[in-house]
Amino acid sequence: MRLKDKVAVITGGAQGIGRAIALGMAREGAKIVVADLQGEKANSVANEIKALGHGALAVEVNVASESSVKHLAKTTFDCFGRIDILVNDAGIYLKSSVVDMTEADWDRTHDINLGGNFLCCRAFVPAMRAQKSGRIISMASGIGYYGMKQFSHYAASKAAIIGFVKALARELGPDGITVNAICPGSANTAMPRGHRTEEEVMQRLHSTPLPHVLEPEDIAGPILFLASDAASYITGQAYNVNCGTYMV
Amino acid sequence: MSQVALISGGGGGIGGAAAHKMAAAGMTVVIADFDHAAAETVRGEIASAGGKADALSVDVTQTREVKALVIDVASRYGRIDVLANIAGGSMYTKRMEEFTWAEWKQVIDANLKGTFLMCREVAPIMQKQKSGRILNTASNYGVTGSALRTPYSAAKAGIIAFTKSLALELAPDGILVNTVAPGPTDTPRVLEKESAEARNRRWSSIPLGRTGKPEDLAEMYYFLTTPESAAITGQTFHVNGGVVMP
Ligand SMILES: NC(=O)c1ccc[n+]([C@@H]2O[C@H](COP(=O)([O-])OP(=O)(O)OC[C@H]3O[C@@H](n4cnc5c(N)ncnc54)[C@H](O)[C@@H]3O)[C@@H](O)[C@H]2O)c1
Ligand SMILES: NC(=O)c1ccc[n+]([C@@H]2O[C@H](COP(=O)([O-])OP(=O)(O)OC[C@H]3O[C@@H](n4cnc5c(N)ncnc54)[C@H](O)[C@@H]3O)[C@@H](O)[C@H]2O)c1
Repeated sequence: MRLKDKVAVITGGAQGIGRAIALGMAREGAKIVVADLQGEKANSVANEIKALGHGALAVEVNVASESSVKHLAKTTFDCFGRIDILVNDAGIYLKSSVVDMTEADWDRTHDINLGGNFLCCRAFVPAMRAQKSGRIISMASGIGYYGMKQFSHYAASKAAIIGFVKALARELGPDGITVNAICPGSANTAMPRGHRTEEEVMQRLHSTPLPHVLEPEDIAGPILFLASDAASYITGQAYNVNCGTYMV
Repeated sequence: MSQVALISGGGGGIGGAAAHKMAAAGMTVVIADFDHAAAETVRGEIASAGGKADALSVDVTQTREVKALVIDVASRYGRIDVLANIAGGSMYTKRMEEFTWAEWKQVIDANLKGTFLMCREVAPIMQKQKSGRILNTASNYGVTGSALRTPYSAAKAGIIAFTKSLALELAPDGILVNTVAPGPTDTPRVLEKESAEARNRRWSSIPLGRTGKPEDLAEMYYFLTTPESAAITGQTFHVNGGVVMP
């Protein structure tokens, strides 16, 4: 068990990749805070973890709200007394060409995808600093590198996360805290299905160089590695997990 | 049956640590190095820790030696699951105009050509198996460049691009090819040339506040052999305390 007795907060943990991370970390011995806008779904993931015999707590949170994130931090500390791992996975994926884009969609994307990173890091970093250890892993995206038409706000927010991660890694290195990003390619979750037919989704998932459909567990694996002691000398990196679609 | 890992440069600092890590995880490791005494030492350490290891001599720049090595490994074990190309090094630190043609070729060959030759012999075996992991070794200098290390930086950048191309070629067979890029790492050879004090001064800007240990790198090589990295190919993994964030 690589994460025995660690406390991990997973935003976006109610479904998809976040859920796979939450279950994976629990199996490695961590106590999990499943933090998501969908309170009920977060609850069922927490129950799933408890049924496996591990500690878990569900917290309904909006990562783009200062007061809500403060409440998340307080609930985490009240329940588990510490934080060792923060995974910023919560995100949204809206579709619009630039000329048709509303300011509201632009703002929402950046408030949740990028702002959520800032607010959650700001809430949990002081405790990590005090204990001189911690792991922050943020979910960026391959789209942050190569762009995608009709997703300019999303692409910009994910590229911004990479810049944020690098800057924060420099800020927190002296405190023994590592900060890294994972950039998934198109994964088999609900997210890409919001804007594509099932056929289009499957076509995309099957058109990678590697004949392998990218599943949430494929992305959770590298995140477990980054959270473990094995990765204590890795910081400021953005690692791609995408079956070879894009190579940086 | 246990997995078989062939590690070039396995007698060196990082290669030795990778061999130890993989052997401790239950793999059979073949330590291939042109410094046979160094390879033997690592083999002995692994054996006395209860692991399975062989030490074989090879100069990775020599086609015939590489061919003979791979035939030997294949006939001993019948398979090769992991190829870690770790042999290499910068060898010289001097201005570009002072490099002789022979020295230039020596650096390029030990790093880049050696990687090519090993991959060329091992890939067909992995293609028959329809599985395999190839791990090549670059350096932070392969991305940033480094004054006084022109051939080394060129060779390491070449390895990154070679890896991407080979990843695309071998992906249909389910073979994953990735690069590990160490930052400044405290191997015995490096520490011989520079005192720990001078080293710490030179690298005081590392965000995590220390230079790397061979074991830090070994963890990354090992991760890239596990099912957890099954969806990763063609990528470069910098392990460097944050000194370079490409
Ligand atoms: N699925 C992919 O193809 C893919 C590719 C690259 C990157 N990503 C990134 O990975 C992460 C997870 O993706 P997924 O596919 O699992 O998506 P998903 O839509 O299945 O899950 C995202 C979760 O985040 C939660 N969330 C959204 N807004 C929130 C908010 N304001 N506060 C709290 N929680 C909020 C949602 O309720 C949901 O449970 C996202 O950051 C996404 O951008 C996904
Ligand atoms: N140590 C660092 O700071 C650092 C930084 C970046 C990259 N690297 C890279 O990591 C790898 C390992 O480096 P290390 O620091 O462990 O060095 P090392 O000198 O301890 O190990 C290198 C090993 O490769 C062997 N070797 C060299 N040329 C060979 C050849 N032609 N055929 C067979 N074996 C050969 C050597 O005998 C030695 O055992 C190298 O590719 C190096 O360029 C090291």
